[in-house]
Amino acid sequence: MDMKRDYYEDVQLCTSGVVVFWLVALLIGLAAFPFLASSYTLYMANFLAINVIVVIGLNILVGYAGQVSLGHAGFFAIGAYGTVILMSEAQLPFFAALVLAALIAAAFGFLLGLPALRLEGPYLAIATLGFGLTITQIIGRIELFGGRQGLHTPDLIIGPWHLESDRDFYFLLIPITVLLAIAARNLTKTKIGRALIAIRDAEIAAETLGVNIMGYKTLAFAISAFYAGIGGGLFAFVLRFIEPEIFTLLMSIMFLAMVVVGGLGSIMGSITGACLLGWLDLQLRNILEIPYLGTWLEALSQEWFSITGVSNIQLIVFGTIMVLIMLFEPLGLFGFWIRAKKYWKTWPF
Amino acid sequence: MKRNGLVLLLSGVIVLLGLVSGVTAEEGVTDTEIHIGQWGPQTGPAAAWGSVARGTDAYFKMINERGGIHGRKLIHHMFDDAYNPAKTKAGVKELQEGVGIFAWVGGVGTAPGLAVRDYLMERGVPWVGPSAGSRHWIDPPYKYLFAVYPLYEIEAKTLCRYAVANMGKKKIAIIYQNDDYGKNGLMGAKEELARSGLELVAEVPVNLTDGDLKPHVMKLKKSEAEVVLLWTTVKHALMTVGISKAMRFTPQFMSTSTCSDFPLMMHISKGAWEGVIAASFGELPDSDYPLMRTYKQEAFDQYAAKDERWGVFYSAGIVWAEPLVEAIRRCGPDLTRERLVQELEGLRDFKGISGNISYYPFDPNDPGCRQGQREVFLVQCLAGGKAKQLTDWATIE
Repeated sequence: MDMKRDYYEDVQLCTSGVVVFWLVALLIGLAAFPFLASSYTLYMANFLAINVIVVIGLNILVGYAGQVSLGHAGFFAIGAYGTVILMSEAQLPFFAALVLAALIAAAFGFLLGLPALRLEGPYLAIATLGFGLTITQIIGRIELFGGRQGLHTPDLIIGPWHLESDRDFYFLLIPITVLLAIAARNLTKTKIGRALIAIRDAEIAAETLGVNIMGYKTLAFAISAFYAGIGGGLFAFVLRFIEPEIFTLLMSIMFLAMVVVGGLGSIMGSITGACLLGWLDLQLRNILEIPYLGTWLEALSQEWFSITGVSNIQLIVFGTIMVLIMLFEPLGLFGFWIRAKKYWKTWPF
Repeated sequence: MKRNGLVLLLSGVIVLLGLVSGVTAEEGVTDTEIHIGQWGPQTGPAAAWGSVARGTDAYFKMINERGGIHGRKLIHHMFDDAYNPAKTKAGVKELQEGVGIFAWVGGVGTAPGLAVRDYLMERGVPWVGPSAGSRHWIDPPYKYLFAVYPLYEIEAKTLCRYAVANMGKKKIAIIYQNDDYGKNGLMGAKEELARSGLELVAEVPVNLTDGDLKPHVMKLKKSEAEVVLLWTTVKHALMTVGISKAMRFTPQFMSTSTCSDFPLMMHISKGAWEGVIAASFGELPDSDYPLMRTYKQEAFDQYAAKDERWGVFYSAGIVWAEPLVEAIRRCGPDLTRERLVQELEGLRDFKGISGNISYYPFDPNDPGCRQGQREVFLVQCLAGGKAKQLTDWATIE
C-alpha cells in the first residue's frame, strides 16, 4: 500500500483527504481540551508537549539521518538557561529569547556535529554523552547561571498577555508544538529530508550521488538541537525553576527511548512515543492503586523486595513495557499503526 | 434592560457561590480526616533519603492509633518523585487538585521544593518543614511556609565556638562544597572566628563531581590545621578523613548534621570516623530522651518495614511533622488554614525531639519569623558508632 506514483505524491504534506480530516479533528480536540481538563491534566499535557517537541527534533537526527545522541539533555539545558538569561539579563521579549536560545543550542549542535563526521555507532554515542554531561557541569559553575542553586524564571508576559496558569501555557505550547511538528514533516518531504535518509541508508552511495555529507550531518545535529532548545526554553517556564541537576543523563536516555519506542523516522511515531513514555513516567507511581494488579504487585514486593521495592516496581513495569513494544514491534508504536492500517485496509468490504 | 437582568443574575450566582464556599469546610479537612501530603525520593539518585517520608508516615500512624487529633485521622499521601522536580510538581498538583491536601509536610530536596514553592504559596497551602537546609525557604519569608531545619551557618558557628573555647584550638580550616550548602558553612565559620580575632588557616573548595581529593587534603595538611570542618557530601567527608589518615594528618574533624548518622558512617569508613565531632539538630536514634524512646517503640517498632533502620533520616521525618501536628492540635475542632498559620505563629519554645521551635507573626522583612529551629548540639563519634553528647542544645545568632 501507499504506493507512490509520482514525485508530487511523494512531497505532499498530507497523503489523503482522510488524513486531513483526522488532523483537523485532532486540532479541534486540542483546542477544546483545556476547557474540559483540570489544571493538573493541563500541566501534564504541557509536559508531554515539550517532550513531543524534543523527540520530533531528535527523530530527525536519529530516525532520518541515522546518527545517535545521548546528549540531548545538554541542548535542552542550553535552551532553558538561554531563554531565562536572555529574558532576565538582556531584557529580550519572550519569543526573541526563546528563538535566540534555540539558535545557540543549534550552534552547539553544529559544533557537536563536526566530530560526529568521524564517529559512528557506539563511539558517537559516547561523544554526545560526554557533551550532555559537560554542559550541566559548566552551567553549574557559572555564577550568572545561578550555579548549583538554579534560577527562577521571570514573569512571562507576551504583549498584553500575562501567562500564569497551566491553561495559559497550554495555549502557548500547543500551537508551537503543532507548528514545529508540521515544519518537521515538511522538512522530511524536501531535499534535506531525502538527503538525510540517503545518508542514513548508505553513506557512500549518497556521497557518490552528490549529497554533501558534512553539510547535512551537521545540519541534522543543528536542527535537532534547535528543537531541543525550544523545548528547553518552554520547559523552564512550565517548571518555573531550573537548576543543573534536572538535566541528567537519564533525561537524554528517556528522549532517545521515546524516539525508538515511538518509531524511527516517523513524526507521528515521535508524538505517540513521547506521549506514551512521558505519561507512563509521570503516572506509573500510581500503579499500586490499580485494583487487583496493585495489590498483587504490593504483595509480590513485600515477599521478595527490600523496603523501597514497592517504588521500584514502577521502574520494572516501565522497562517491561518498553521491552515488550520492541519485542513485538521493532518499528515501535508507528509499526503497530502501519500493521493496523494494513489489516483494516479492505474494511468494510 | 436585558443587560441589567444579566448583571442581576450573575451577581446572584456569585453571592450563592460565596455562600456555598462559606459553609463548606476547609480543603483537605473532613469531620473524620485531615489530608497531609509529602513527596520524597523512593527511587533514583537520592533514594537514601526516602526514609524521611516513611518516618513521617509511621509517626502519623502512631497518632491515628492514639485516636487521631480531635477525632480526625491524619491521612498521609506520600509519593515518589525520584528527586526529579518535574515529577514533584506533577505529583503535588495531582494530589492538591485531585484529593485536596490541607497542608504539606517535609518534602526532600532543595530543587524539588523550589519547583513547587510558588504553586503552594499562591494557593495559600501551608507547608511545614522542608527537608533541606536552605535560605530559599525563609529569605524572603512566605506566610504559609514554615522552616524547621536549622541553617547550616548555625552549625558552623557552634562547632567553631566549641573548637576555640572548649578545646583551645587556634588553627581551623574548612573543606567545603562549592555551592549554597558549603558556602553557608564557610560564612558561618568565618563570622564566628572573626569574633575571637581568628581566621581560617585554609579554605578548600571541592566540587560535587571531584573524584580525587588528595590535592585538597594536601592543602589542608600544609596549613597545619588542628581542626578541619567538613562541609561536603557524606562521600567527600569520608574520603577526606580516609586520605588524611593515610597521609598521617590527624586533626580534629568536625562535620555537619548531614554526617551525623554515626553507625552508618563508621560502617562505611571501617572505623575511620571515630572521634569526629558533628552537629545534630535532632535527638540521636539511641538517645534516652523519653519522647524519642516513645517514638521508637510506638511508631518505628509498630509500623516500620522489617529492613528499615531507626536512623537519623527516619526520625527527621518525625522532626518535620511535630510542629505541624502540634499546631493542628492547638487549632481544636475548628480547623482551617488561617487558624493553622496563627497557631504555628504562636509556637514558642515548642519542644519535640529537635531543639526548641518558635515562630513569630509574619513580617515580610524578617526571615527569622519563619525559621523555627535554631538550636543544635554537638556529639562525638565513639567506637562502634556510639555517640557521646558533648554540649547541650544551644544556639548562636
